[in-house]
Amino acid sequence: MRPFEYFAPESLADTLQIFSDFGPEARPIAGGTDLVLQMRMGELAPRALVNLTRVAELRGSPTSDGFPYFLSALTTLQKLCQSESMRMRFPALAEAAATMASGQVRNLATVGGNLCNAAPSADLAAILLALGAIARVVGPRGERRIPLEGFFLGPGRTVLASDELLLGLEIPDPVGHSVYLKHSLRACMDIAIVGVAVSLHRVDGRCASASIAMGAVAPTPIRASAAEAELAGERLTPDRIERAARAAAAESRPIDDMRASAWYRRRMVEVLTRRALTSVAEAETGSGPNGLL
Amino acid sequence: MHRQPLALNVNGEPRQVLCDPRWSLLDVLRGPLALRGTHRGCDTGRCGACTVILDHRSVPACLLLALSCEGSEVLTVEGLATNGSLHPLQRALVEHGGIQCGFCTPGMVMAALALLERNPRANSQDIRSGLAGNLCRCTGYVKIVEAVGAAARELAAVPARTERDEAAVAASGSA
Amino acid sequence: MGASRSDGDHGSRLARDRQTVVGKRLPKLDAPEKATGRAVYVHDVRLPGMLEARILYSRFAHARILNLDIERASRVPGVKAIVTGADNPAARFGYGKDNTPLKADLVRSLRDELAAVAAVDADAAQEALELIEVEYEPLPGVFDAAAALAEGAPLVHPERGTNLFTTYEYEHGEPDEAATDSDVVLEASFSLPYVVHAAMETSAIVAAFDSRGRLTIHSSTQIPFLLQRDLAEALGLEGSDVRVLQPTIGGAFGRGLDIYPFEPIAALLARKSGRPVRISFSRREEFLAAPVRQPAQVHIRAGARRDGSLTFREADALLDIGAYVSWGTVTPLVMLETTASLYRVPHVRFRARCVYTNNPVTGAVRGYGNPQSTFFVETMMDRLAEALGWDPLDFRMHNANRPQEQTPQGLKITSCGLKECFEALASRRDGQLTSESDGRSMEGSDPHGGLFAPSSTVRGIGFAATLNVGGGARIYRSDGCGATVKVDDFGHATLVTGSTEIGQGSETALAQMVAEVLGLPIERVSVVNSDTDLKPWDVGVHASRTTFIAGQAAYLAALDARRQILETAAEMLGTQPEQLVPRDGLIVSVDGAHSIPLGKAVRGRHFRPDGKIVVGEGWYDPPTSLVDKASYKGNISAAYSFGAQMAEVEVDRQTGKVRVLRLVCAHDIGRAINPMAVEGQIEGGAQMGLGYALTEELIVKDGRVMNPDFADYHLFTAADMPQIETVLIETEDPLGPFGAKGVGEMGGTPTAAAVANAIYDALGVRLTTLPMTPERVLQALDRAEGR
Repeated sequence: MRPFEYFAPESLADTLQIFSDFGPEARPIAGGTDLVLQMRMGELAPRALVNLTRVAELRGSPTSDGFPYFLSALTTLQKLCQSESMRMRFPALAEAAATMASGQVRNLATVGGNLCNAAPSADLAAILLALGAIARVVGPRGERRIPLEGFFLGPGRTVLASDELLLGLEIPDPVGHSVYLKHSLRACMDIAIVGVAVSLHRVDGRCASASIAMGAVAPTPIRASAAEAELAGERLTPDRIERAARAAAAESRPIDDMRASAWYRRRMVEVLTRRALTSVAEAETGSGPNGLL
Repeated sequence: MHRQPLALNVNGEPRQVLCDPRWSLLDVLRGPLALRGTHRGCDTGRCGACTVILDHRSVPACLLLALSCEGSEVLTVEGLATNGSLHPLQRALVEHGGIQCGFCTPGMVMAALALLERNPRANSQDIRSGLAGNLCRCTGYVKIVEAVGAAARELAAVPARTERDEAAVAASGSA
Repeated sequence: MGASRSDGDHGSRLARDRQTVVGKRLPKLDAPEKATGRAVYVHDVRLPGMLEARILYSRFAHARILNLDIERASRVPGVKAIVTGADNPAARFGYGKDNTPLKADLVRSLRDELAAVAAVDADAAQEALELIEVEYEPLPGVFDAAAALAEGAPLVHPERGTNLFTTYEYEHGEPDEAATDSDVVLEASFSLPYVVHAAMETSAIVAAFDSRGRLTIHSSTQIPFLLQRDLAEALGLEGSDVRVLQPTIGGAFGRGLDIYPFEPIAALLARKSGRPVRISFSRREEFLAAPVRQPAQVHIRAGARRDGSLTFREADALLDIGAYVSWGTVTPLVMLETTASLYRVPHVRFRARCVYTNNPVTGAVRGYGNPQSTFFVETMMDRLAEALGWDPLDFRMHNANRPQEQTPQGLKITSCGLKECFEALASRRDGQLTSESDGRSMEGSDPHGGLFAPSSTVRGIGFAATLNVGGGARIYRSDGCGATVKVDDFGHATLVTGSTEIGQGSETALAQMVAEVLGLPIERVSVVNSDTDLKPWDVGVHASRTTFIAGQAAYLAALDARRQILETAAEMLGTQPEQLVPRDGLIVSVDGAHSIPLGKAVRGRHFRPDGKIVVGEGWYDPPTSLVDKASYKGNISAAYSFGAQMAEVEVDRQTGKVRVLRLVCAHDIGRAINPMAVEGQIEGGAQMGLGYALTEELIVKDGRVMNPDFADYHLFTAADMPQIETVLIETEDPLGPFGAKGVGEMGGTPTAAAVANAIYDALGVRLTTLPMTPERVLQALDRAEGR
């Protein structure tokens, strides 16, 4: 690991000053579960590391009961999957967090870290995309809000400038039901081969809103807009679910890699999308997709 | 590289070391603090051998930069046995055959401790999920899970003494 | 004077119901030290002035070294010694004598060692490493065994003129005739992957020379005496100048069965720097540089008759052994043993070719050819059963090996509980999954994020058996082990055994045997199994031999000590030794009239002018033979252990994901010296077997390991394990100490086959490539359904 200067500022102003002084050579660190590994492998060699976990403005996040819900970037994955209020309010998000890494790593890893690491397979990204989350970002030029669809640029890259920090996510109050399905080799500890998140709300049996997001099948987590279009305003018949699943598979752009082939990933998109839609439909009405008992 | 002072509480004792900023908590424990019971299995947070308890949470010591632990409380396997007797988790692992080569054992003990502290009524499925981050190549986990279950039952059966209990015991003059 | 026996000792038949230590579920002697983190592993060893060292590996899989410059590296502050090929001693080492500690002119794989740096700390060593300048001339490489045999392939060791290292050829009976005599003949090709040991402790060594020039190493080796000799040869030292110490070992699984370059490299650095040197592998380095299992392509034909009898088997295996040869190249001998002797097969032909490539160096991995061969043999058994309309379990029982049978290969089977193992499976065939141990609801939701739609999952059950050496394995001239037992005035016994505790519990099992013979509680027995200066010779901890062979040696040494004690006790009590027995730390007369504490008898023996100390000695080398060099026939082991496993799986037809719900492991271990430890060995073996079946594969492309970490090399975690039930069958082997046979490797050898057969039962598709990942399962299903 290259030598670096270590800072643990306690105010946002001090934090932004360090970024201003060092420019792109400074990196923020929270749990460090991705960053420390990348530094050890020599993939990253920042000259300054800025520990965000003591910054007052970031710690004292308004975890509101209000609307929209604000999820602080410093929230650990373990907190996300174990907190009763998260499980009640955003069960799919809590479940997604529970599939990641191990308990020990989740005690350190943060929402912000997972999103800013911007892996195409990031589990939280897929479900947050489906939930319509908006990123709140702060920098020397002030705050801005970025819908999550526009947050990721490519593997490991986000729209954040080197002197900007992710404060957290605004998540609209969920209507309907959502689910995140992760396909991986083992029960846990694995990076997703494919991840599919669905959020669905029906009014009078028709889809008033449908979001489908996919991870590990494109350079970034993406929304399956063609699949969503299949559902908009429609009744959720098995046939329609099938069409949406196929559309999602068709618009995914997976690659062959060590974990799986593109062929298999595309197939899993279809399977997981179908299952996710079916399960959400069942949860919604308690009676399954229209036409099924 | 220029070393910085680091102060933290380890196994109930305040400790101070001069720390290379690149060091992980694991480096500090095994290095200047000479607490070698916590093992280095992969240095990537993927095997659980280096699990310690930091401010009441189980964490992989290899991924934590030591300096970020300033002021924290760390509990390692060396801090468990009191007055020469094993902690119930350690004793259960011994008695149930949950230890073969022993390399994963300290991390397993600490992970199980954190698990039971959070969920004293953990059943075998909870234990398997809770220990999924701790790899073992010797036991197949079967006797580890049995041991942790047995320890959970033992720990749950002993009611914790509250201050009122203590006072009552003292007042009654009985041991 | 020691006792030596080769006929099996009937004194060990202290009536089972009177045994107080053997057969008990005792905690391991070393468990408390390990539970408290106090056990010292090689990574924990600290010597004054010790340096840390790092190795520079080749950047190319095949290349000439034109120049290597250590000038800049040597100027890094804190660097105390650098070694390169120029420091190599004259001799080549290794099973094939084809290796040198450092490589000077030619590199043959990406794990070839070019240089090594010892410095005051790891950071300085790493810094220096990065400043070593190497000029390569890359050469075309060969990365596939078949390609390596083809005309014009690059030669890995040009002086040999070929990439073929060795061929094993075997035949018994008339396989060609038998084929025509069969009612069904089936054939298939199998593809078996690279896997790794993945011991939780990575490879490490500490080497130090003392002022007399003697070398002491601290190592996690499994072969301390062979290593002592091999290191001496490799370094140009006398064997008497090398001492091997073994601290607590964090898992081995075959990794420590050879001498590897990092070991003499550490010694060379220690010599050059004049200080102790430690090399400890990072986990990444462990994946990149520690030996791995040979991948193999196998083609097999097998036949049977309608009456259910097997007629013939013919298997042809091509193994990629990598760039240098280790003892792992002998694994075909075990593949051969399974092919020729698992079940009763009258006609067998077997060929295995071991081929050099520029791929990773291979070695011995637990099972040593047996997981591979059991996979292809047991898949074919399943297919034959189906083709003939037989139930798979009945078919196996029909052809099972029997006690007191000699196989056509010459294996002398004595005790054999294979039939009982199958019966144990049969009685549990319709067993229920307990809700506690499975814990997951049987349909609908999977809390780990998947969603098993009930209609898309199917279940199946599969079987597989295993034959394993259980009484040593003579693949080296000697299969012996020595032991001494010293007893002191306080009635405490110390067993010094040539064998090694690698976590498997041998230390405790041996202590139990000694305690039983001397009538001592286990608390009064200590075991020393480190230090070649101190302990008697042993060939090594491998081939599941330790309980049997080291056990017999310890037993004989304890008997010898007992004889000495009883002699003196008889004098002191005015009776005959035959009238006395040791019990509960005392020597008591059989009529119960007299007794004396055991320690007092020991003291009485030396507290007099013509006194003697109590030290018993035992040496045991089983009555077996090296296989005939030409025919590969002969009895390689004094006993054979058997087992059978049943796997129940649930397969998701839409994703191909296989979940093993239940694994029943029935194993004939002769006698369980410590049933808890035996179960632990089987359960641990099963974890490896399950990984071999479903999730573990070291992915190597053009000689490069693509997944050198636990993120992408997938070990089964506690959350992945099925409900496991272990059934111990005790057949009381006539030659085994207290009737015991070996168990170390068996737990994982039939598992992949049982799972594959269960997948077939569930889905109707056979997979012949391991691991059976969801993608491979789905591909097979698609093919079968014409998609």
